[in-house]
Amino acid sequence: MKTSRIWTLGASAALLAATLATPALSQETIRIIGHRSPPNEYYTGAMQKALPEGRVSVELMPIDKEMELASITMSSKSDAIDVLYLTDSSLKRFAANGWLEPLDDLWAKYKEEYKLDDFPPAIMEAVSYDGHIYSMPVLTNTELFFYRKDLFDEAGIAAPKTMDDYQNAAAKLDSGRMSGTIMSLKPVDAALNETHWYLNAVGDGWFDENWRPIFNQEAGVKAITRMKEMSEFAPRGFTSHANDESTINLQQGLAAMGLQWFTRAASMDDPQKSRVVGKIDWVAPPGGGARVANDGFAISAFSSGDKEEMFRMLAEASSVDSMIKGAEFSMPPRLSVLQNEELSEKYRWYPAARAALEDGKPFPALPDFNDVGDIVTRHVLRAVTGEVEVKAALDQAAKETEELLASRGYYKN
Amino acid sequence: MVRWQRGLWLFCLPSFGLLTIVLLWPLAYAIYLSFFDYYLGSDVRTFVGLGNYIDLLSETRLWNSMWTTIVIAFGSVALEFVVGFALALALYGNRIGTKAFSTLLFLPHIITPVVATLFLKWMLASNWGLVDATLLTIGIEPPDWLGNPLWAKISVILADAWIFTPLIMIVLYAALQGLNNSLLEAARIDGASNWRILRHVVIPALIPAIIFTISVRLMDVFRFFDTIYVLTGGGPGTATETVTMYTYQLGFRMLQVGKASALGVITLVIVAVLLLTINRMLTRIYRKGDQ
Repeated sequence: MKTSRIWTLGASAALLAATLATPALSQETIRIIGHRSPPNEYYTGAMQKALPEGRVSVELMPIDKEMELASITMSSKSDAIDVLYLTDSSLKRFAANGWLEPLDDLWAKYKEEYKLDDFPPAIMEAVSYDGHIYSMPVLTNTELFFYRKDLFDEAGIAAPKTMDDYQNAAAKLDSGRMSGTIMSLKPVDAALNETHWYLNAVGDGWFDENWRPIFNQEAGVKAITRMKEMSEFAPRGFTSHANDESTINLQQGLAAMGLQWFTRAASMDDPQKSRVVGKIDWVAPPGGGARVANDGFAISAFSSGDKEEMFRMLAEASSVDSMIKGAEFSMPPRLSVLQNEELSEKYRWYPAARAALEDGKPFPALPDFNDVGDIVTRHVLRAVTGEVEVKAALDQAAKETEELLASRGYYKN
Repeated sequence: MVRWQRGLWLFCLPSFGLLTIVLLWPLAYAIYLSFFDYYLGSDVRTFVGLGNYIDLLSETRLWNSMWTTIVIAFGSVALEFVVGFALALALYGNRIGTKAFSTLLFLPHIITPVVATLFLKWMLASNWGLVDATLLTIGIEPPDWLGNPLWAKISVILADAWIFTPLIMIVLYAALQGLNNSLLEAARIDGASNWRILRHVVIPALIPAIIFTISVRLMDVFRFFDTIYVLTGGGPGTATETVTMYTYQLGFRMLQVGKASALGVITLVIVAVLLLTINRMLTRIYRKGDQ
C-alpha cells in the first residue's frame, strides 16, 4: 500500500514537472512572421537553415494580414512573435510605439564577424528610427515598369519615358482580352504604391514640410485624374487586384505593361508560370517617383527568447553569400553584392532596377504613414470608380488626414 | 410555490456566470473604452466622455456604412427568402430524390463561410475566374464583379445568398412537413388555384417559421463580416463597407480602440431597435392573419 502511494506521488510529480516544462520547451522555437513573396520565402528559409531543424517556425501571409497580426500582438505586449518582417514605413511606426528591440549593441558586437559595414548609409537610415537601428535589411525593392517588348516593337512604340508616353502606349495596345496596362488598386498596400507613383510622377507628392497634406492641390488632383483615365485600360477587377493578380495578368499575356515590383521580374521568365518568357522587358517607371522600399526583419521587444541568437540568425541569413543567392528575388542591400557584375549579366532586369532606384522615392518618413495611406487610398478608389469627383475625394482625404495627424500630435500650433 | 422550488435559481448561476464572462464583461469593457481616446500604439488613455460618439455620429462615413449595411442586409435576406422558399416548395412537391437533392443544395451552407467565399472570389476573378472565363468563352462580356461599386454590392448579396439560402430552405421545408394535408385537399376540392392555395393556406400556416427565419437571418446579416472581408474588403472605395467592416477598420487597422468601441455600441443600439421594429411588424402581420 505504502509502495503504491509512493509510486502514485512520484508519477504525479513527474507529470506536473512535465506539464510545467512544456511551455519552457515550446518557447525555444523562434516564431517568424512575414509577407509572402519570393524573396521572403528565400530569406526565411535561410533563417531556418541558420539554426538546428525545428527551432524556427515561419508563417508567411499577405502583408496587410501580417501587419494586423503584428499590431494586435505587439500592442498587447505579447511574446507570441519573435521576429517579424517590416517595410521601412511600418518599421517607423512600430519603433515609435516601442514595440521593437533596438539592435545597436548587437550590431556593434557582430559588425566585423558579419561584415555589417557593407550596408550603405541610405539603407541604414531606412532601418533606423530616432538614431537607433531596429531591423536587419534583407532587401531593397523597387518598382519597375514591365512592358511587352514584342508588342511594343510590333506597334513601333518606344519604351515610355513620361506618363503621356505611358497613356498613349496603353491606349494603343488595349484590345479585346489584352488590357493596355495592369493596375493594382487593392487596398491598402497595393493601392498605396500605385497612388504614390502617380502623386510623385504627375503631382507634387504627399505633404509639405510641416506634414500638411498637399495631395489635394491642383497637381494632386491632376495625378488622380490621370489615374482614373488610365483605369480605362486596366483589366476588369483592377480595384481588387494586388501584386499577385497583376503578375498573373502579365504572365498570362492578358496585359501589355504596368508597374510591378522588382521581386516579380524573375517569374516573367519562368516557363512553368509564364506564357511570355523572354517577351517582357523593364525600364524605370515613366515620370519617376515610384516606390523604393528597404525592408528587413526586426526582433520584437516583447520576445522572451534569446535575442542575441535571433540577431545571429538574421545576420547569417543576410550574409554576403546568402544575398548573392537571393539576388534573383530581390535587390540585395549590401554594397559588395550590388556592385557584383556577374549579377547584372545574369539577371536582365538589374539595369532597369538601378535606374529606378535613382529616381524612385520611399514613402514619406512619418510613423503614421500607413494609417494615412488607409485614408487616402479609400478616397482615391472612390474617385477612380466614379463614386465621387476627384477633387471632393481628395479634399475629404486631406481633411481626415489632418484630423488623424493632429490627434497624434503632429501639429504643435 | 413549494419550498424546494425556491432554490431553483441556483441552477441558473453556472449559465449566468458563463454569460457574464463571455458576454457581459466584454460588453461592459467596450462601453467603458468607448469613453476614452485610446490609440493602441500609445499607453495613454484620455477620458473624452461622449466625444467618440459625437465624432462618429457627425461622420458621413458612418451613415454611408449604415446605409450599405441596410441595402446588403435586406437585399440578401429578401433573395435568400424567395429562393429558399421556392426550393422548399419544390422539394415538398417533388417526392423523388428529395433527400439527395436537399443534401446537395445544403452543401454551400456546410462549408465554412470564409472558404466558400474564397471559392467565389476565385470564380469571379476577372479573365481567368471560372465564371468570367466561361462567359468570355461564349462571347459574353461579364461585368466587373468585384471592381464596380454596384456589382460589388450585388456580388456580396449573391455570395451571402449562396451560403445561407440552404438554411432557409431547410427550415421552411421542415415547417412544410407539419402542414395539415386536409387543408390543402379541401382547398383543391373547392377549386382553388395553386397560387391561391399558396397565398391563403400555405403561407399563413408557415408564418411562425417565416418570422423565425427572417429574424434570425436579419440579426446575422447585420453582423455580416467574413464574406465581405474576403470578397471585397469593403471596397472598391467604400462601396461594400458595412458597419462591421468600418468597426474593424477603426479597431484593427487604425488601432483606434476607443472609437471602435463607441461604434460597436452605436451599432448594437441601432440594430436592436431595427430588429425589434421588424419583429413587432412581422408579429402584427401574424396576428392579423390569425383573426
